[in-house]
Amino acid sequence: MASIVQSNQLGFHYGRRPIFKDLSFGVESGEMVALLGANGVGKTTLLNVISGLLRADAGAITVDGTNVSEWERRELSRFVALVPQTLEIPFSFRVDEVVGQGRVPYLGKFGAMSAHDRDVVEHAMEAVDVTSLRDRVYTELSGGERQRVKIAIGLAQQPRVMLLDEPTQHLDIGRQIEVVNLLKRLNQSGITIFAAIHDLSIVRDNFRNAVLLMNQNCVAGRTEDVMKPSILEEAFRVDASAVRAFCEAELPLMETESTRECRRPRIERRWRLGRRR
Amino acid sequence: MIAATQTRRRPNTLVALVLLALLLAMAIVVSAGVGAVHLSIKEVFRALLHPRESNDATVILFSLRLPRVLAAALAGAGLSATGVLFQGLFRNPLADPFVLGASGGAALGGALAVFLFPAFSFAGVSASAMLAFSGALLTMIIVWNLARQNARFAIENMLLAGFAVGTMLNAGTSAFELSQEAANPGARILAAWLYGQIGVAPWVQIAFTAIAMLLAILIALPLTRKLNTLALGEEYALQLGVRVHRVRLEVLIVGSLLTALAVSLGGLIGFVGLLVPHFLRLVLGPDHFRLLPVAAIGGAAFLVIADTVARTVVAPAELPVGILTAFIGGPAFLYLLNRRREVA
Repeated sequence: MASIVQSNQLGFHYGRRPIFKDLSFGVESGEMVALLGANGVGKTTLLNVISGLLRADAGAITVDGTNVSEWERRELSRFVALVPQTLEIPFSFRVDEVVGQGRVPYLGKFGAMSAHDRDVVEHAMEAVDVTSLRDRVYTELSGGERQRVKIAIGLAQQPRVMLLDEPTQHLDIGRQIEVVNLLKRLNQSGITIFAAIHDLSIVRDNFRNAVLLMNQNCVAGRTEDVMKPSILEEAFRVDASAVRAFCEAELPLMETESTRECRRPRIERRWRLGRRR
Repeated sequence: MIAATQTRRRPNTLVALVLLALLLAMAIVVSAGVGAVHLSIKEVFRALLHPRESNDATVILFSLRLPRVLAAALAGAGLSATGVLFQGLFRNPLADPFVLGASGGAALGGALAVFLFPAFSFAGVSASAMLAFSGALLTMIIVWNLARQNARFAIENMLLAGFAVGTMLNAGTSAFELSQEAANPGARILAAWLYGQIGVAPWVQIAFTAIAMLLAILIALPLTRKLNTLALGEEYALQLGVRVHRVRLEVLIVGSLLTALAVSLGGLIGFVGLLVPHFLRLVLGPDHFRLLPVAAIGGAAFLVIADTVARTVVAPAELPVGILTAFIGGPAFLYLLNRRREVA
């Protein structure tokens, strides 16, 4: 069976600088996969290629078996949601207005929202627990709140695949746990998650599979196989002993869903089915 | 609770629209009475209700006052609506047709046409209107490309590009005007134009402008929803399926058209497109769809009031309204610029 996101000998370069060469890996439907790699190795670029914002120079990315470049733009926007690293909004839009933008791929020519669209936006806000923030202005939110709002935009797209660019960056440990637990819940509801994450302990404790970008290529597989000291040493160019100490540490560095009781907003069946109109 | 202070409650758009329309109507009636010969509100209404009577009041009203007051209303509507559109496109509340140089481009285009093809018109549209539109659009395309770097607009780039291009265009208009002045007495009109003087417009031009502006705003309404999405950034809008390149071109065309129509009536009137949308955004929120029609009506009311003040403040002489809006708008612009720096 073909993976829901499949990279076949992908090649990409910015000007003369090559980023990927013969990059091949697959993300299976329903999985929660971490995207790892040193700064500047091309994690954001890869997510942009998968979501159709950048074009591959060689090879191809297929989504649900079809080459990304052959997808109709709006269809792809309903299937793959990219949650970007930063979202700066120059005007004082409220949270519900911002989340409502996730419905844009479904709206008609005049861009008016139907009752169904508003319903989906409500459920998206509920699922990430930002309903209480709905009347607040996005630019006045804290980092953790912004992160959840961004994920809500992605949810309003009702995607089958959600790509996230460093969703835990700049968050304190509590907010990081919140976001990771949220991703797990979304994953359990049927959304395939592919997230670029810098914190290796988060990946080790929460992601079963990982794709590690290095040398214009990647190592992909089960997290424990990818995160071997020898591989990490080369990928991040760090001292061997530091990596070993990290890899051999027994204690999980993070609390997880099973060890911690947390608020768990109901996730509607529609997410689980990834239903599309 | 802190949250309560940060909550945004927004008044109904329709109510705002009706209130501003009433304000506009009142401003027009009052403004029409003000001048060398004072007409009371009663006299103005009487003349409006009996336009066929030929007395002093009707003559003054229909051949002098109303054409000017309505020209001010239309110019204000066009500039303010353009402000909303350009602010959405540049993702910057400081964007304004004057600041960005679009007005300067329209003025130069219009000036060239006045002297070079004074009698030419095609399908009822004068060469002046066509060249003003071309000038505004060309300027905006140049400024847009200069202002953009790495898919985003640095505020400095936008302001500097607009300033440099606008100054060059205005210098061009001045030079052209001086070279024509000796041979052609019409040049004096242009001098007033450069300061933003609203003249007594022919009724045909007023009717044409009103219809064209209404159409432009109707065409722009579906675009305003796309501008809301564009507020998240160009890449995000692309990812959500917005055809960013097309939307950009459409907004630049409609904005240039509105600017050209406004400049044809009143010349270079600055900061209206900045002040009015900014104030309304504070009250109604940033949704461009709601903002556009309200800003058009609000801009009309604002400029009618401003022009009335400009006409009376140094009576019997008249101040070009552009000078007045510069006095109000300049400090407001600097205040906003400074506040944005603190945030960034």
